[in-house]
Amino acid sequence: MTETALSNPPPPPAKPGTLEIRNISKAFPNVQALTDVSLDIRPGEILAFMGENGAGKSTLLKIINGDYQPDTGALSMNGQPLSFSGPHVAHKAGIRVIYQEPEIIPGVDVAENIWVGELPKRFGLLDRTHLNEQVQNSLKEYGFESALPMHLLGDELSSAQRQLVEIMRALKSGVRVLALDEPTSSLTDDEVERLFALVRRLRDEGVAIIYVSHRIKEILRLCDRVAILRDGNLIAVKSASELNDAEIVRLMVGRELSSVFQRRRAGTDREILRVENLKSNWHDDVSFRINAGEVVGFAGLVGAGRTELAKVIFGDLPKNSGRVILDGNDVNIHRPDEAIAKGIGFAPEDRKREGLVLIRSVLENASMAILKQLSRFHFVNSRLERSVISKFVEKLRVRTPSLEQEVGKLSGGNQQKVVLARWLAAKPKVLILDEPTRGIDVGAKAEIYRLIDELANEGLGIMLISSELPEILGLSDRIYVMQNGRINGELDGPTATEEAVLGLAIKDHFAANPKAAAASI
Amino acid sequence: MSEKQTKQPTSPAKGGDEFKRFIGFIGTDNLSLIFALVLLVFLITIVSGWFGMDGGDKFFSWQNLMNSLAQAVVIVGLIAIGETVVIIAGGLDISVGSIASIGSVVAASVLVGVGTIGSLNFLTGNVVIAVLAGIIAGMIAGAINGIIVTTLRVNPTIATLGTLAAFAGFAFLLAPEGKPVGVMTQPDFTWLAQGRFLEDTAIPALGGAKWTGIPVLTVILVVVAIFVHILMSYTDFGRAIYAIGGNATAARLAGINLSRVKILMYMLSGGIAGLSGVLLAARTTSGNPINGTGLELQAITAVFLGGAATSGGKGTIVGTFLAVFLVGILNNGMNLLGFNTFVQRVALGLLLIAAVAISQWRQSQAERSRTRIANAG
Repeated sequence: MTETALSNPPPPPAKPGTLEIRNISKAFPNVQALTDVSLDIRPGEILAFMGENGAGKSTLLKIINGDYQPDTGALSMNGQPLSFSGPHVAHKAGIRVIYQEPEIIPGVDVAENIWVGELPKRFGLLDRTHLNEQVQNSLKEYGFESALPMHLLGDELSSAQRQLVEIMRALKSGVRVLALDEPTSSLTDDEVERLFALVRRLRDEGVAIIYVSHRIKEILRLCDRVAILRDGNLIAVKSASELNDAEIVRLMVGRELSSVFQRRRAGTDREILRVENLKSNWHDDVSFRINAGEVVGFAGLVGAGRTELAKVIFGDLPKNSGRVILDGNDVNIHRPDEAIAKGIGFAPEDRKREGLVLIRSVLENASMAILKQLSRFHFVNSRLERSVISKFVEKLRVRTPSLEQEVGKLSGGNQQKVVLARWLAAKPKVLILDEPTRGIDVGAKAEIYRLIDELANEGLGIMLISSELPEILGLSDRIYVMQNGRINGELDGPTATEEAVLGLAIKDHFAANPKAAAASI
Repeated sequence: MSEKQTKQPTSPAKGGDEFKRFIGFIGTDNLSLIFALVLLVFLITIVSGWFGMDGGDKFFSWQNLMNSLAQAVVIVGLIAIGETVVIIAGGLDISVGSIASIGSVVAASVLVGVGTIGSLNFLTGNVVIAVLAGIIAGMIAGAINGIIVTTLRVNPTIATLGTLAAFAGFAFLLAPEGKPVGVMTQPDFTWLAQGRFLEDTAIPALGGAKWTGIPVLTVILVVVAIFVHILMSYTDFGRAIYAIGGNATAARLAGINLSRVKILMYMLSGGIAGLSGVLLAARTTSGNPINGTGLELQAITAVFLGGAATSGGKGTIVGTFLAVFLVGILNNGMNLLGFNTFVQRVALGLLLIAAVAISQWRQSQAERSRTRIANAG
C-alpha cells in the first residue's frame, strides 16, 4: 500500500480511511518536539494521546491539523500522501482538531457560527429560515438542543458550548478524523457524559477519534487504544484493556511514582506562626497555628477564602482585626515587602499573572525578593547575585539554558521552580504555597513534593493551599478545612481521609448538591 | 533577535570577544537604529546634493553636526531619557513639557531675583543655586504626578494630561505678571547652553586648525544618559522599574514597594525635565513659561522609536539615545532641505505612530515565539 520503509514484520494493510502517520519528526529551536513517530489512526476507534506537558502531544496534533509542517516523515490516507499547508486544507480532507478554546465570532449567534463561511443564501441574502432549520435538526440529532441554545451569541457561550460549536462545524462538513484536545477540562459532569455519548456515537459511525486528556480514569473508560508519548518519542501504543492507572503513569513518567508523597513527618512543637481571631472582608474569625518544620494543609472548595487568607497574612489584602504572631512576636503587616522582611514567603496560585515577570530573566525573577540584601548603596552585586541564585536553581533542578533565559519561555514546572527558588533564596520562616503544582506535569510535581518535605525538615513552617485532595492528604501534618471564610475544622494529616475533608468542606450545604461540590474540590 | 536587549542589564555574554561585548552593550535591536541613522545621513546628503540645494556639504560638516546636536537633540534627548524610565515601568508622563516650563521660569527668577520665587531673595545671582532650583521644582512636580498616580490611583496618562495643563498654567503664575524673565545679562548662566569645552584648541594633526569644541549641552546630555543608564542597569531601582513594567502584580508580591518606586520614578522624570527647562532658559536667554510646550511629543516618539514596549518592561537608555539622534537629524535634515515646520509636524506625528506600530509588531513576534516554544517544550 504505502511506499514507506518499515521494519519487520510489515504491518497488516491499513483499513481504508486510516490516517497513517509515518516517521514524523519535528524540531523547534532548542527542542526536539517529536522524534520518528509512526502511528495509525483508525476509523471506528477512539485513540488516546497521553503524556506529560511537553511530551509532544500538542505538536503532533498541530501537525495533523496542518498548523505545523513536519521536518521529516509524512501523513497519508488510503495510500494518498497528505500535505497540509494550513488548517483549512486539513479541514477539506476531513480532519478536524478541536482545541480547548476554539475560535468563535463574538457578535454572531450559534447557528451562524456553525455555518460560518458557508451560510445558505437566497437571492443573495442570508436564508435564515433554512439555516435555523438545518442547525435545529442537527442539534436535535446529537442531543445538544438544550446544551447549546441556538439564539445565544458567540460571546455569551461557555467554554463547553464553544467546543460544541466547533464539533458541530466539524460534523457538518463530514469529518473523518476528529481530535479533541482536553475537551473535558472545563465541562461539568453532566456535559462530560453527553460528550462521551457523542464521541462513542461518532466512533460507531466510523469516525477516527483522537482524544487527548490528562485524566487517566476518563481515558480508561472511553478509549479503545492509548498512545503514550514521552520527550517527543512514542513510548507505547496499547489497548486500553491492557492498561491501568499505575501502568499509564509509569509509562508517562518513565519510573515508578509510588514514593511521590513520601513525607517524613518532622513537625516540632515550636510555634512559628499563630493567627488569632482574624477578621477581614473575606474572613470571619479565623484562628490557626503553624509550627516550625510542619506542613499544614488548607483544604476547601474554590471560594472558601484560602487564597484570600494567604494574601491577608502576606499584607496584600487588608485585615480588619485579629492578631498575627510570627515567631513569638506580634506583627502588623500592611504590605508584601513588610511580610518578606519579617520572614514570610508567598508563592501565588497563578504564577503567570501573579508570580513571575515573564519577559525578564530567570536570574532577575529569582532574586527579586532579596535585591536589598544583594545590593550595597543600591548597586546590585551581580557576582553575589549569580552565586546565590545559581545555587538554588541547581538545587531545584530548573531546566533552563542559562540564568539569562526569559522565564516566559520555560515550561510550567520550571516556571514554578523559579518562583520557589525566589523564596528559598529569601530564607523565610513561613512559606505559603498556593496551589504549588497546578498545571505542571507529573515529573515536576514529584520534585516539588520532595522539595516541600525537605524544606519542612529544614525547619520551615509551610502553609499548603491545594485543591488536590491527594496532595493535601499526602503531604500535610495537619489539615485545616475552610468554608465561607471560616475554618470548619482541623484534621490530623496522616489519619485524615478524603471523606473527612470533604465533609468539613461542605458542612453548611451538604444537602444542596454534594456531587457538584465533590467535583469542584 | 529582540531578546538581546532584554538581558542587557545582566552581565554581558561570556567569551570575552570585544566585538560581541560591544554589540551586547548596544543591543541587537539598536543596531537597526544605527543603520537607520547612517542611512538617513546618507540619504539627506545624496538628496540635497542631487537637487543642487546648498545643504549638501553643510550637513556633513562636523560643525553642522555639533550644531544639530546642541540645537535640536539635547533638550528633547534629556526629556526622552527620563520618559524612557517611566515608559519601561508601564507608565507615561505627558506633563514633562510643562515641567520644563516651570524649571525654566524658576531657574531664571531665582537667578534674577524676580517673581514669586525670586522675591525670596535666596542667593540671587548664584548659577548653581538657580540650576538646582529648576531641578528641584521639576522633582516636586514629578512627586505630585507620582502621588496622583499611586495614592489617588489615577491612570498615568490621564493624571499627567491633567498636570500637563495645570503645570503649564502654574509656570505662568510663577513668572512675574506671567511674563518671561530675561537672563541675557547672566553670561555664566547662558554659557550652559551656548558655551563650548575645548573651544579654539589647535589640533596639530590638522595642521594647527582650530577646533570648534564640544558644546556644554552635549556634555550634559551624555552625562545624564550615562547616569540613568547605570541607574537602570546596575541598581535595585532599575530592576524594580523593569519588573513593574513587566508585571506589576508579580513585582508587588515579590516585595517591591510599587508606590515608592513609582513616586521616585516620576521625580526622576520631573527632575530631568526641570533641568531641560533650565537649559532652555539658558539657550533662549529667558525663563519663558512657554519654553517647554510640545516637547513631550518628540520625547515620547523617541522613546518608542528607541525600542521601548508600549506595554512596559522593555526598553533601554541606549536605544532612546540613538532614537533621539534619529529624530534630531531628521528634523535638522528637513530644515536644511527646506521643508517648513508644518511638514515637519506631520512627519513627527506619523513617526510616533510608526514607532509604536513597530513596537507592537515586535511584541507580537516575541509573543509568538514564546507560545511556540511553550507548545513544543
